[in-house]
Amino acid sequence: MIQMYHVDLRYAGGTYGLRDVSLELERGDFVFLTGASGAGKTSLLRLLFGAQQPSAGQILVAGRNITRLPASQIPHLRRQIGVIFQDFKLLPERSVYENVAIALEIAGVSRSEIRTRVWSMLKRLGLGHRIDHKPRMLSGGEQQRVAIARALVNDPPLLLADEPTGNLDPGLALDIMDIIADAHARGTTVVVATHDPALLDRYRHRRVVLDGGRLASTRGPDEYSSALRHVRGTRA
Amino acid sequence: MRDARASRRIGAALRAGARGARERPLVFLLAVATMAGGLLVLGAYLLVVANLRGVLARAGEELRLVAFTELRGAAGDAPVAALEARIRAQDGVAAVTYVAPDQALERLRADLGQDAGVLEGLEHNPLPGSFEIAPPRELRDPAQLRALADRISALPGVSEVRWGEPWVEGYARLVRIVEWVGAGLGAFLLLVLGAIVASTVRLSLHARADEIQIQRLVGAGGWFVRLPFCLEGALQGLLAAAFALLVLRGTFALGLPLLGDALAWALGGRPAVFFGAGEAAALVALGVLLGLGGALASLVNLDERA
Repeated sequence: MIQMYHVDLRYAGGTYGLRDVSLELERGDFVFLTGASGAGKTSLLRLLFGAQQPSAGQILVAGRNITRLPASQIPHLRRQIGVIFQDFKLLPERSVYENVAIALEIAGVSRSEIRTRVWSMLKRLGLGHRIDHKPRMLSGGEQQRVAIARALVNDPPLLLADEPTGNLDPGLALDIMDIIADAHARGTTVVVATHDPALLDRYRHRRVVLDGGRLASTRGPDEYSSALRHVRGTRA
Repeated sequence: MRDARASRRIGAALRAGARGARERPLVFLLAVATMAGGLLVLGAYLLVVANLRGVLARAGEELRLVAFTELRGAAGDAPVAALEARIRAQDGVAAVTYVAPDQALERLRADLGQDAGVLEGLEHNPLPGSFEIAPPRELRDPAQLRALADRISALPGVSEVRWGEPWVEGYARLVRIVEWVGAGLGAFLLLVLGAIVASTVRLSLHARADEIQIQRLVGAGGWFVRLPFCLEGALQGLLAAAFALLVLRGTFALGLPLLGDALAWALGGRPAVFFGAGEAAALVALGVLLGLGGALASLVNLDERA
């Protein structure tokens, strides 16, 4: 699903956001991207959904080399990827329904199908009773569930989550992770960036550890993923 | 299937634009008001130029060449008719009227009015006969008029041709000045208006930055983001132009009687005219194009990846 080969992300001042990162994720994987703040987790996710171009290296997502993708093709890539952020990124003046429907409207889905799919998704995430509410009327956990609904309503094969529980209480965080795990169980490839040890302890998935923009380690402390994917380290 | 999806996307983009305008009426109305102000100034200016051109055109229509003749016969006399036919046959002659010496004297008497008594002592009519020659509308160039005057002067029986050379040259210069200054000022006003529209669209863009970011995130293409702004800009231009026209029309109707004699003098007795349907439609189209152009100009650097 994702292949990164010797990827560098270099900023204008000469500092590196990522350095020589190579990584492979197969379809159906669930990976925690972890490391301290500033380690490069968000930068890596941004590269994956085409918000930034790497300075060097190649990135393939679902078989497409996105480093060679013209800007005009980025929207097509993004319709295949669900993205969740720590700050939810919801439209405050739109209802829960409208916030979720936007992903399908942009994909050109008919209005009747939008209604069916949004309703079904919100019901699945326990938000059926909140459909006409504005985000400000919802709790943090509910807002994040709306964001997840928006990310998943299009049935994307890949879900990227950047600190999805960073703004939530521990109980709500587990709720959110359960929803993401459920999406994974339905076949979605999931990459979750987090530095929350509680989540890492609870969910035994493969871990990719970044340190100062470099890939530091690719296995969890309990070696859970040792039998899983081959992950390549640095070039040198 | 692809077409259906594309048309649904267009529909969604239009709804997003309409919703954006509804959610930020102040920004929308501010843009309309600013554009209307600019179009009002431009429209008022164009109205002045159009009326000034009308005055000049009328003055131009009254232009005549006068060819004096040694012949002293009446209009129907054979030599007069023959010379009239030869003048009429010249290129650049639209109409010819013969003024016999007796008619010329009558005109002079009428022009002198109370002082006409000075003519009583004349033993014979000293005034010559003349042909008043009207060139066609398109012939207002001094060089062409001079060439026509020279050709007519060379005809046997014509003693002198007068055509008010200094006046014609002054007139031609004035027309050129009005056209150049008109075009220059018009272009300047258009540029200023374009900049105003671009700024207001940027304001709208800024107000909707979060929405655009989220649209981008879920896979909105460049046109999906741009289309609502273009439509909003075009709609703002349309409303602004319509409003500017209404205000201009109202001011025109209410202001004319107040100006009275001063305006009549300025326009040489010609009544002031408002835009015709075609000109009004052109101003509205200009508003729409300005709104559209301003939107496109401010969206040209929209980052496809952001």
